[in-house]
Amino acid sequence: MKRLLFVLLALAMVLPVFAAAEKDQAAEGPITLRVLNYADATTPAYAVEKEIWDTFRAQNPDIVLEYEELFDEAFHTKTEAYAAAGRLPDVMFMWPSGRSSTLYNRNLVKDLTPLMAPVKNEFVPIATSPGQFGILGQIPQSTTNTHVLYANLGLLKKLGLSEPKTYADLVAMVPAARAAGVEVVLIPAKSDWVMQSCLFSMVLGRIAGDEFINDVLAGKANFTDKPFVDSLAFIKRLYDDGVISRTALQIDYGEGPALFASEKSLFYIDGAWRVGEFITSPDSGVALIPPAKQQSDFKLMNFPVIPGEKNANSSSVIAGTGFGMNANIEAGSAKEAAAWRLISYLNSAEVLKKRLETGAFSNVTRIGVTASKMEPLQVMNAQLAPAKATYVVDGILDASVYGPINIGLQEMALGTATPEQVAQTTQKAFEEWEISN
Amino acid sequence: MRQLTGTLERKQAYLLLVLPAVMIYFAVIAFPTIFSIVLSVSNYQGGAVFGEKANWSLVGFKHYLRMFKDQYFWISFKNNIWIMLMSLFIQIPLGFVLAYTIFRKLIVGREFFQTVIYMPTIISVIVVAILWQSIFSPYGPVTSFMRMFIPGWENKLVSHPQLAIVPVLFVMVWYYTGMYLIIFLANLQKIDQQVIESAQIDGANEWQMLKAIILPALSGVIVTTAILAISGSLRSFGLIWAMTAGNPARRTSVLALYMYDNAFKGAPNFPLANAISTFMVTVSFVFIVIAKKIEKRFGGKE
Repeated sequence: MKRLLFVLLALAMVLPVFAAAEKDQAAEGPITLRVLNYADATTPAYAVEKEIWDTFRAQNPDIVLEYEELFDEAFHTKTEAYAAAGRLPDVMFMWPSGRSSTLYNRNLVKDLTPLMAPVKNEFVPIATSPGQFGILGQIPQSTTNTHVLYANLGLLKKLGLSEPKTYADLVAMVPAARAAGVEVVLIPAKSDWVMQSCLFSMVLGRIAGDEFINDVLAGKANFTDKPFVDSLAFIKRLYDDGVISRTALQIDYGEGPALFASEKSLFYIDGAWRVGEFITSPDSGVALIPPAKQQSDFKLMNFPVIPGEKNANSSSVIAGTGFGMNANIEAGSAKEAAAWRLISYLNSAEVLKKRLETGAFSNVTRIGVTASKMEPLQVMNAQLAPAKATYVVDGILDASVYGPINIGLQEMALGTATPEQVAQTTQKAFEEWEISN
Repeated sequence: MRQLTGTLERKQAYLLLVLPAVMIYFAVIAFPTIFSIVLSVSNYQGGAVFGEKANWSLVGFKHYLRMFKDQYFWISFKNNIWIMLMSLFIQIPLGFVLAYTIFRKLIVGREFFQTVIYMPTIISVIVVAILWQSIFSPYGPVTSFMRMFIPGWENKLVSHPQLAIVPVLFVMVWYYTGMYLIIFLANLQKIDQQVIESAQIDGANEWQMLKAIILPALSGVIVTTAILAISGSLRSFGLIWAMTAGNPARRTSVLALYMYDNAFKGAPNFPLANAISTFMVTVSFVFIVIAKKIEKRFGGKE
C-alpha cells in the first residue's frame, strides 16, 4: 500500500513536468487567440456570421481561435467582467465609445494606428482616425444611423393615411391607428439604451445640435439649459400625444422587428443595423418582410419635422463597431501578428461585402466594396442620408452621464419625472464626472 | 489500530481533520465576504488587486452614503421586501395548504396535482421568465383575453410605476410554490400515522389535528422554509433580469439587480456594488436571526 502511494505521489510530481514540456512545444506551434464576438444567433444573417469565422479557421490553420460570442446585455456584462478581472480576450468586438468606454478609459486596448498605417489609404478617413479617446482602439467597419424611421406605407394606405411630413401629421394619425388597433410608432424600449440611442439622440441633434453638447463639455452651457430640456420635453410629448404608447417600455429589443413586420404599428424606430432582421435569411430563404413587399409597402425615412428644430432632417450617426486588440499583447510579437491577421481579415473586402449583403451594414468603411445582391430595404438604407449627422448621446458622453439620461427617459414615460428633473439629474451626474476626471 | 492517547496527539488529529474544511470555508465563504467588505470602502476600479500594479486605497463609507441617497436603491430594497413578504405570507402558506390537502387525501388525483404544482420548479428560470414576459406582453395572450371583454384595452401591467412589480410577484408565486409543497409534503409524510389515527379516534377534527399535531411537528420545517424564503428573496435575480431587466425605470429592480447594474452596466462602480452586496448579506443575516428567535419563542417541538 505504502509503495503504491509512493508511486502515485512520484507520478503526481513528475507529470506536471511533462505537461510543461508539452506546453513549451505548443508555444512553437499554432498561436491561440481568445476572441469575443458580438453576434445574435437568432438573426437571419447568423449563417453568414458563422461562415465568416469558419473561413478564417480554414484559411489560417496556424491560428487557433478560442471563440466566444454573446449578444446584447450579456455581451457587455461579460466584457466588463473580463476587464475587471484582467482577463480581456486578445481580439474583441468593440464600440467606438459608449458601451466600450471602460476599455478606452483604462487603456485596455491597443492603439491600432501603427498597424493600420500601411493600409490606411484603403479605408475612408473615419476608419483610420483616432476616436473620442485619442486612439484608434478598433477599426470601424461602417458608419451607422442610430435612428431610422421604418414606415409601413401599405398599412398607411389601408387606413387612408399618407406619409407624414411633420410631427403634427404623426399626431393626426393617432385616432385612425387606435381605431384600427395598431400603434403609430413602435419602439422596443424595454432596454433603456434604445430610446436614448435610437430616438433621443436624433431629437437632441435636431433641437440643440452638436454645438450645445460641445458647449456643455467646454463648461459654456448646462444640461439644465432650454435646448436640452426642450429635447427631453419632446420625448414626453410623444407619449402624451399617444404617438408612442407607454407599452413600448414592455417591448423587448428582440421582439421589435417581428411586431413591426406583423403590422402592429405604422412606423418602427430602430437603428439602421436592424435592416438585416427584415431581409431574406441566407440560411432558411425566408424573410420577415419578403423583397416584393419591401419594395411596394415599406420605406426607410428620417423622423419628420419636429417643432422647434434647428437642424432640419438631421439624424444621429456614429462611427460603427469593429474589432480591437488587447493592449497586453506585446508589440512585434507573433501573437500580435496573428491578432492583426484576424482583424485585417474581418476588415477585408471579402468579409465586408458579406456584411453589406446581410444588411448588417448600410455602408462599409473600406473603399470600393459594394454588394452584388441587395434587397429593397438594404438599398433604401444605403440611400438614407440625413442632411446633417449629429452626435449619439452614448457616443459622446461618459456612461456615468448618459446613464441618468437613459433612466430619465423611462421615468418621463412613467410620469415619475419631469424633463426639468431629468435635466437636473443629468447635470449633477455630469458635474460629478467632471470632478472625478 | 493504535489508540490516540496523549492530549497533544488528539489535538493534532483534530486539527488534521478540521483544517481542510476550515481552509475551504475560508477560501470560499469567509475570504470573499471580508474582501467584499474591504472593496466596499475602497476606490478599486478593476485591474490588479495585489502586487505592484495594484492601484487602490481605502476611502471610508462614501459608497454606502451614496447607496442610501440613491432612490433606485430604495426602490430595489422595497421590491425585495415585497418579494420576501410574498414568499413568507403567500408562497409558504400556499405550499403548506396544498401539501396538507394532498397529504390528508382531501382531493382526488393527488399525484397529478403534486406533479403539476411542482413542475415549474424544474424549468429553467430564464425559460419561465421569457414565457411569462410573452404572456404579459402588450401583444400577448393576456392582452388578447382582456380585449375580448374590453375592446381597445391597453396592457400597461408592467409599465405602471407602482404596480409593475405585481406581475413579477405573481410569476414568483407560480414558480416557487411547488418547492415549498414538496418540502412540506416530505415532512408531513414523516409524521407518525398512528398519532393522527389516534387523534381521529379520540374525535379530533381537522383543525384540532392541524393545530395540535401537524403544525407543532412542522415548526422547524416552517422556520427552514422561512429562512429559504428570506435568503431566496434577497438573492432574486435571474427571473427578474430575464423578465423585465429591472425596468421600466428600475421599478422592478431588486438589490441583486441594482448591484449588477452598478458592477457591470455603463460606468462600473465595483466599490458601490460591493457595498450593496455587504448590505444584502447584513439584511439577510438580521432577518434569519429574527426568524430563528420567533421559532424559539413560538415554535413547537418536532
